[in-house]
Amino acid sequence: MAEFGVSTPSVGVAGAKPAASTGKALSVVALRKTYGDAVAVDEASMEIAAGEFVTFLGASGSGKTTTLMMIAGFCEPDSGTITVGGRDVTRLAPQKRNLGFVFQQYLLFPHMTVGENVAFPLQLRGVPKEEIRRRVGQTLEMAGLSGFAGRRPRELSGGQQQRVALCRALVYRPPVILMDEPLGALDKKLRDQLQVEIKTIQQELGLTVIYVTHDQEEALVLSDRIAVMRNGRIEQFDTPRELFERPKTAFVADFLGAANFLPGRVEQQSDAHTLVRLDHSGGLLKTRRHDLAAGVAVTVAVQPGRLRVCPPDDGFCTGTVETATYVGSVVRAGVRIDSRDTSRDTSRDTSRDTGRDTGRDTGRDTGRGAPLLRLEVPAGRGPVTGERVGICADPDDVNLFPGEQGR
Amino acid sequence: MIGLRSTLAGRIALTAFATVILLFLALPIVVIVITSFSKSAFASFPPDSFSLGWYQALFADGSKWPGALSLSAVIASLSTVFSLILGVTAATALTRSELPLRSAVYALVLGPLIIPHIVTALGLFLLFEPASMLGSPLAIALGHTVMASPIAVMILIATLRGIDERLEDAAASMGAGRLTIARRITLPLAAPGMVAAAIFSFITSFDDFYVSQFLSSVGTLTLPVQIYNSLMFDIDPSVTAVSALLIAFAILALVLVGLVRWLGSGRQNALLSVETATALGAPGKETP
Amino acid sequence: MAATLAGVPARPRRLLASRRTRIGILYALPAVAYLLALFVYPIFSTLLLSVQDLDGSLTLHWYADALTGVNLSVLFTTLRIAAETALFSLVIGFLLANAISRLRPLPAALAMLIVVVPHFISALVRTYGWIIMLGDKGLVNQLLAGLGVPGAPYQLLYNEIGVVIGTTAMMLPYTVLLLYGVMRGVDRRLLAAAASMGAGRLVIFRRVYLPLVAPGLATAGLLSFILALGYYITPALMGGPNQTMIASLINQQVMKQNQWNGAAAEGVILLLLTFAGLLLVKLVSSLGEAKKRSAS
Repeated sequence: MAEFGVSTPSVGVAGAKPAASTGKALSVVALRKTYGDAVAVDEASMEIAAGEFVTFLGASGSGKTTTLMMIAGFCEPDSGTITVGGRDVTRLAPQKRNLGFVFQQYLLFPHMTVGENVAFPLQLRGVPKEEIRRRVGQTLEMAGLSGFAGRRPRELSGGQQQRVALCRALVYRPPVILMDEPLGALDKKLRDQLQVEIKTIQQELGLTVIYVTHDQEEALVLSDRIAVMRNGRIEQFDTPRELFERPKTAFVADFLGAANFLPGRVEQQSDAHTLVRLDHSGGLLKTRRHDLAAGVAVTVAVQPGRLRVCPPDDGFCTGTVETATYVGSVVRAGVRIDSRDTSRDTSRDTSRDTGRDTGRDTGRDTGRGAPLLRLEVPAGRGPVTGERVGICADPDDVNLFPGEQGR
Repeated sequence: MIGLRSTLAGRIALTAFATVILLFLALPIVVIVITSFSKSAFASFPPDSFSLGWYQALFADGSKWPGALSLSAVIASLSTVFSLILGVTAATALTRSELPLRSAVYALVLGPLIIPHIVTALGLFLLFEPASMLGSPLAIALGHTVMASPIAVMILIATLRGIDERLEDAAASMGAGRLTIARRITLPLAAPGMVAAAIFSFITSFDDFYVSQFLSSVGTLTLPVQIYNSLMFDIDPSVTAVSALLIAFAILALVLVGLVRWLGSGRQNALLSVETATALGAPGKETP
Repeated sequence: MAATLAGVPARPRRLLASRRTRIGILYALPAVAYLLALFVYPIFSTLLLSVQDLDGSLTLHWYADALTGVNLSVLFTTLRIAAETALFSLVIGFLLANAISRLRPLPAALAMLIVVVPHFISALVRTYGWIIMLGDKGLVNQLLAGLGVPGAPYQLLYNEIGVVIGTTAMMLPYTVLLLYGVMRGVDRRLLAAAASMGAGRLVIFRRVYLPLVAPGLATAGLLSFILALGYYITPALMGGPNQTMIASLINQQVMKQNQWNGAAAEGVILLLLTFAGLLLVKLVSSLGEAKKRSAS
């Protein structure tokens, strides 16, 4: 189905663009939606390749669902264009877009059996009876629902119902399948299991999927690329690795990895590295080269998992271990940094509240002046409470953002 | 259940009182049914001996009842059709669209339930009399529709609200057009509600007395008007048999509604529950 | 239109919104047109007729007629009987709803059926049943005589007792359903909480339960009052000449005396009384809402 739209390259207004040759499944250009004065989606643009699994990740109100609804056609954008397989669908009704949609609430038709539900989109397309039977059987089998064709949706568990909804959305092989928090109503264990199933099916069939969630872990597990959304804008659209290791904004760094933030000033710039003088400890921290002039105020961001404990003299700062919690494979530690000047520390809280609601579990700095760094170190030789330690980080793992960011 | 324990005496007194009241609510109906099988001409209770005489008299030659019955049935059928058409369109407008003056439309549609029926009937009389349509079954059916359509609208609004609108979105996302969605999704799901709306519209028209009395002529007396005249002016004992038939008819209709609702809800609730009973009494959640 | 002024980007959304609106108007049209023609217009013509003299000139003398002499006493009778009916159906309905709400599910369902089913049986038929029951040789009098109650048989028909009994029975389904709903809405843990603080059952009833159900009680009472005001069948069949109600009067004026204008005036008076009652209902329910909101 990747060749959708190939045969008619002249379809749509955007005839200037070569429609199919790029392998683009979907592109969104400068999409904008307002509700009264509130901007729900602000100039969102992206291109999605065929066979790609893309996730819109963000807190509620970030515009991720509105964007999805505009792609599906349930909500009309104020401006911008949506192109599916080279065809401009921006002003088309949902039923004319030939997309698949999986809803959080399953929305199986209660008066039809499981089989009839899955057959429904095929019937709409005038597929011959015999083939409908075959394809419904095939699809249900793939989802492990072979024996369920004759059942009513309400006789099924939540997980099974969502599998049926999935079958119903992909049985007619739409070029793009949209999923709106499809696992949001399920419990954790089932969610993990279905994530794997969805990913497997997507890869096997080479489906193009746009997935909406507020769960970072889910996004990381599933996606080829993630669009991190905030206040109606796409903060960054990248692979999980890039987002994690090269966040473009402090928000992304905090949202995905719950980064540690420390204020500082660029001390020196070399060809390969940037040196930062930290405000609190006065220590020098080496990072990979960022294009920043010396003297510029910056915010340093490091993921808890990328900090290491080292002998006090080797680290870019020293501190005292305040908490050390054993959580299986790693120990989560909170290290209170030694300050060179305690008097001015009280006003500066390091870890700014960028994503208070993003599910962070380590204790926050409760305003005792010096910042508390959160570490995740291998459980084997974890630090002990009360121990004095140095903190190290690989220059490549340290990200810098100009100014006092992360608010 | 968390609640207050009441004294035994209090409970017994309350239960006894409730039983007596319930008995008195049921008795008039039971009494009619029993009396209708009585042999004697006078409606005394309990009857001395039983017969089917009054039922035979109903359908004897020259009896006015078969005519009244069929007239009422025709009128009720007509106004059921009218009410369903008005009900489906109005309920769709009120639940599935952005309607300007929505609350005004709502108030207008439910108005006939609140305004005293006699006033509505008087108004209809003043409308149809100059048009010399008095006695026309069509006029009576049109009048009954004023009373019956609000009930149909109420039931259908509740029905449509009960159908997740996003099911229709889901169908649209798969490529179903407006008509297909209505035919394949909304209509099957709304069917129990539509049956209920039809039955209640029919009952409303069939039982209506006010409009019928104002709009009927000597040639077109509906069943309730005929019953009223029998009770008021000439004591015709076969009226008990008619009444008993009406009771049977009403109970049958209610059983039907209950059954359809029960089947429609996927047999999730018990067939006989307070919820279903109160739902019968307040079709579409009656809020005055 | 405004859409053209709003600039290009805003237009598509407005079009879509107007599509949904257009559909709404299209679908609302049949019912609205129908009711405007056969419900609103007739009521307005009633209104018009009530202030017109026979020659077409404006007059208020139909209202003067309606509010003097026999007609005035009919109005008072109507108000009195409606009030009596409302009171009885409220008290009985309260006790019945209370009893049902304490029952186990199955008996409660049965009891509710007994309340609800008669509601769908023709009022004429039920009235007839009451006539059979309340006659000199009817079940009630036989029962009373059998129990040796002095003075039996009583005259229970064709007087106010009969009318009030009959009309109350007709109103009971409404009050019971309404009050049952209200009572189910009362959080019984509140009562338990009050008891845990040491409140006696009378105090709990008066200080906690009654205030919680009071708006519902008022609504139920007013509703049955309104319904009884325009009621015709039962009073006409079970009452005597002294129980003529306003609806009977309208009927007589149209059917027997061809007094359309007078009937129209009576109708408008009935309408105004109904609106006054509805206004009170609205007031009571908004007061109840306000109380609920301040409580939460």
